[in-house]
Amino acid sequence: MSASQTPAVVMDNGTGYSKLGFAGNDAPSWVFPTAIATKAAAGGGSGGGRPAVAQKPSFLTGGAGPSGHLSSKRGTEDLDFFIGDEALNAAKGPGYGIDYPIRHGQIENWDHMERFWQSSIFKYLRVEPEDHYFLLTEPPLNPPESRESTAEIMFESFNCAGLYIAVQAVLALAASWTSSKVQDRSLTGTVIDSGDGVTHVIPVAEGYVIGSSIRSIPIAGRDITYFVQSLLRDRGEPDSSLKTAESIKEEFCYVCPDIVKEFSKYDREPDKFQKYVVDQGAGRKVTVDVGYERFLAPEIFFNPEINSSDFLTPLPEVVDGVIQSSPIDVRKGLYKNIVLSGGSTLYKDFGRRLQRDIRHLVDARIRLSEQRAGTSVRSSGLEVSVITHKRQRYGPWFGGSLLGQTPEFRSYCHTKQEYDEIGPSIVRRFALLGGPGGNA
Amino acid sequence: MPAYHSSFLSDTDVRIIGNFGLLPLRTRTRGPAYTLPLLGPEDDEIHVDPESESYDILDETLVLFRANTLFRNFEIKGPADRVLIYGILFISECLGKIKPNMSGREAEKALNTLALEHFALPGDPTFPLNALFAPARDRNEADTLRQYISQIRQELTIRLLSRVYFDSATTPSKWWLSFTKRKFMGKNL
Ligand SMILES: Nc1ncnc2c1ncn2[C@@H]1O[C@H](COP(=O)(O)OP(=O)(O)O)[C@@H](O)[C@H]1O
Ligand SMILES: [Mg+2]
Repeated sequence: MSASQTPAVVMDNGTGYSKLGFAGNDAPSWVFPTAIATKAAAGGGSGGGRPAVAQKPSFLTGGAGPSGHLSSKRGTEDLDFFIGDEALNAAKGPGYGIDYPIRHGQIENWDHMERFWQSSIFKYLRVEPEDHYFLLTEPPLNPPESRESTAEIMFESFNCAGLYIAVQAVLALAASWTSSKVQDRSLTGTVIDSGDGVTHVIPVAEGYVIGSSIRSIPIAGRDITYFVQSLLRDRGEPDSSLKTAESIKEEFCYVCPDIVKEFSKYDREPDKFQKYVVDQGAGRKVTVDVGYERFLAPEIFFNPEINSSDFLTPLPEVVDGVIQSSPIDVRKGLYKNIVLSGGSTLYKDFGRRLQRDIRHLVDARIRLSEQRAGTSVRSSGLEVSVITHKRQRYGPWFGGSLLGQTPEFRSYCHTKQEYDEIGPSIVRRFALLGGPGGNA
Repeated sequence: MPAYHSSFLSDTDVRIIGNFGLLPLRTRTRGPAYTLPLLGPEDDEIHVDPESESYDILDETLVLFRANTLFRNFEIKGPADRVLIYGILFISECLGKIKPNMSGREAEKALNTLALEHFALPGDPTFPLNALFAPARDRNEADTLRQYISQIRQELTIRLLSRVYFDSATTPSKWWLSFTKRKFMGKNL
């Protein structure tokens, strides 16, 4: 089959989780941790070096020497490493070290990332790269060198037919087009992408990221999991492992309008308290009570002070600041289309609270400037709208799926042939997909 | 939305010693506090309606306790906020005395002792918040303040116990006890 007929492969490699699948689908076919277990020592170093070879006699390491160049390998039978959940499992036993090749959204260990992709493509997606176009995602402000390294691997190691690299935030905007609240398919808006390790607030005007106004905050999924864990420990629950804390977080947590009122609700409505059964293996089951963490954990977005003493700015203030620092002529559009993306925006009523709090900040500022101006004329205010939608969980991936299935997608990609002619620098620029004139 | 302030900040005709407000209390213990009507038998003593004439700063302190102990920063806006701070720190101290295996009776004994034992007043070298609380001007005022704070301590103990032992007379609520791990404003009394 030729690459012009096969569906494009869409890969969104996040700091915490990788989302893999095919353009045109509603959801990724694979979602697993962006983790790799190799026979090297844990960590494997960063900055692109190969992992240190284990300092053990070869009979202990199974005799595997440093691996040869990957492009020479096609099969997966002889892979001496694991990725995703299999990697986490392998690392529990002896002989394997775990590494997370992406840090804060950026690829840090290229050798591990290459192997991660190799396994993603051949073992999970099971495709021949020369028969497919690939849509990959990147974080905001990704350095061009990093794009080039990605292209080198995709074209030289894997021979992929064509490549498009899109900014996650722009894809997240496209993903929100599925919401009924979104009327015009605009690529202007403020994206709040909150994953496992970091939360980005990214203003986008007509498909282009306003780089100088981006802010990131050090509160995301992992911090919320740790906070749940600390509350479980404070109460001496019978299981307070990270895994338990994460499951409780994903299953039970929500955002409330006011924590004082919420505490009182728990006094009056005992069924707000829940139970979570942990299977500890070997037939052992324990029951963990679930209570105030349900609303306190995601509260750290809105009141970071309850969890940390060094980062204190509430998320609504950060969002307001990002928009205020953007060019004045796009602010209206940025307030009107605040789009949620990523696993850590899924808490029930997260968007509602965010919208209310941002509105308060905006209204207070308008009132103040009216007072200063001494006018009795009241301005009509400013529309603040936070978009919650069904594709939020895998926003960037879904946006990629949407754009990757359009008829014009392939013409926006760089092909293997173009790469061979011009070299890696070709990926420094991509034409804007889904922008004005596009008909996604 | 930072830590919560007292709604009694707006009560301005209140006696003030140092910069601590002697707000009215609903209590049977004797002392200088102006006393509010006691609750009727059918009233919910745990959720007193803030609009009711019996609602006092201690009801409010107990309502705000769980939220406010999570905060390290608090900007004092007036004398009522100092009563709130003192109350919250005293509740923390009480919770620290209740062991997970204590029955309601045992806890009551432990807390009564605590409420009545000698305590530091603003201006005393061992008072932990001297940067924020002003001392009484003279001996007389200091005596009155001591008696007022003693009323607060005794009344808070009673009301705290009815919450901590609400579900069971024999085991304290682990939900309340879990707050012993947190320190409002990073302080202990
Ligand atoms: N239903 C949910 N509620 C809250 N958090 C969730 C939920 N589902 C997943 N998460 C969290 O989202 C994070 C992963 O989000 P993701 O957007 O995939 O991150 P990244 O792209 O940075 O790898 C994890 O911390 C996970 O626990
Ligand atoms: Mg992501």
